[in-house]
Amino acid sequence: MRNYRIALGVAGGLLLTFGVFRLVTELDAGDLLVLLVWLIAAVALHDGLIAPITVGTGIALAAVPPRGRRYLQGALLAGALITVIAIPLIGRQGTQPESKAILLRDYAANLALLLGMTAALALALYALRVLREQEPAGAPPVEDEAN
Amino acid sequence: MCFVTGMLSHYQYQPWSWLPVPASPVQAYRVTQGLHVATGVAAIPLLLVKLWSVYPNLFRWPPIRSMKHALERLSVFVLVASALVQLTTGFLNTLNWYPWPWSFPSTHRYLGYVLIGSVLLHIALKLPDIKYGLQARLGDADVLTEVPWNENPLAHSNAGTVPPPVMPAMDRRGLFVAVGSGIGVIVLTTIGQTVTPLARIGLLATREASKGPQGVPVNKTAMSAQVLTLATAEDWRLDVTGPTPFTLTLEELESMRSVSEHFPLSCVEGWSVGAEWRGIPVIDLVRRAGGDTSSSVEVFSLQPNGYNHSMLVGPHVGAALIATHLNGERINLDHGYPVRLIAPNRPGVLNTKWLHRIEVT
Repeated sequence: MRNYRIALGVAGGLLLTFGVFRLVTELDAGDLLVLLVWLIAAVALHDGLIAPITVGTGIALAAVPPRGRRYLQGALLAGALITVIAIPLIGRQGTQPESKAILLRDYAANLALLLGMTAALALALYALRVLREQEPAGAPPVEDEAN
Repeated sequence: MCFVTGMLSHYQYQPWSWLPVPASPVQAYRVTQGLHVATGVAAIPLLLVKLWSVYPNLFRWPPIRSMKHALERLSVFVLVASALVQLTTGFLNTLNWYPWPWSFPSTHRYLGYVLIGSVLLHIALKLPDIKYGLQARLGDADVLTEVPWNENPLAHSNAGTVPPPVMPAMDRRGLFVAVGSGIGVIVLTTIGQTVTPLARIGLLATREASKGPQGVPVNKTAMSAQVLTLATAEDWRLDVTGPTPFTLTLEELESMRSVSEHFPLSCVEGWSVGAEWRGIPVIDLVRRAGGDTSSSVEVFSLQPNGYNHSMLVGPHVGAALIATHLNGERINLDHGYPVRLIAPNRPGVLNTKWLHRIEVT
């Protein structure tokens, strides 16, 4: 274990140092400063905005009864991840020359479709669960509810 | 995987002379660069969920317990910052969106070293936690707290039997299913730009090959390359320099022996499409100029700046074509009229368009 840790640590440290060295030596000072701002801004934006919104949503959801909550959480989570990818596409669609054949789709409509499908799937799974729980007593317990 | 395929791509731009890029399999670059972009896009949601799961650690008190701890937190900052910026800028690059002043290829490359280095360093630091997490039974494991297990008084390994955490709503398995589904949807709806049969469900895919002129998308148009006048000029000539230099008119060039090849056009941005190319084998011109398959060949575009020249070495010299036709039609202006280079297993941007000079050395 100790040897693995040392080997990984040394390899990682060397690669990291090499990358930083090349960045510092090959970018001009102005670009380097902007890159530094990007790096700090990315962490600030994530830790100061994206993560708090996610955590806040989770706290707000605590009011929802647990039986339905897991499906709501799942749908929101999957939907949010898809939305993250779709937003830049929506912002960028239709901005490029036609012959590039890039960003020609209606990404807002496609996102709505994907989110609708996600919601429908989560609803269907929830309905299935409610139906199964209404089965007469004595039915075998469903395994994935054990947790 | 993303790092390795990325480095393979950078190697295409600056190969060592003793280790030229192979010309076969012709689809190799299409696969590795398709994987690079697909794994990079999939890593965005993965990174967000990973950061969410460790977010509480940001607020642990005291923020710095020792010099060692301070260094560890600094390394985590480098990891998080480089991962966020690398994935964001990489994704925006596939949308041809460059809201930054630096050169994308070199910065993406060096930041890649920073990122993979911090990942390895992080694994080295967390290896005991990883080992414990993998050994513990899923239902009983307390690694979800993300408090290092040897510092956690409630850890099973330190406190004996403790009831597993109560998760009334979504549990670990639920999280895994939801995140997996989200990433699955993203991959399936974006990969169509590389895996042609999935283009039909490419709801979030950027390129649509079938809508490109002559069935192939263009990245640099003739207009933006400022070659409209030069490429259509009556007095266009192809100069071939070498031990026995010569010059060809378009008519002379088109009357030479031509062959057809099925080569994909594979862009560094991840999209690719198979196409039928017809043209004059580069090696025919090289031989006439006094060279052979061991020659280095540099081709030059009419394009005044940008990626306006490229090198052919090793197997590429024998495999490349000076293309005149694409999918059965005379290649149009945006695809590089009068002639362009096309070679197998080579990034699209290195298949130089609007050629006017070939240097054989």
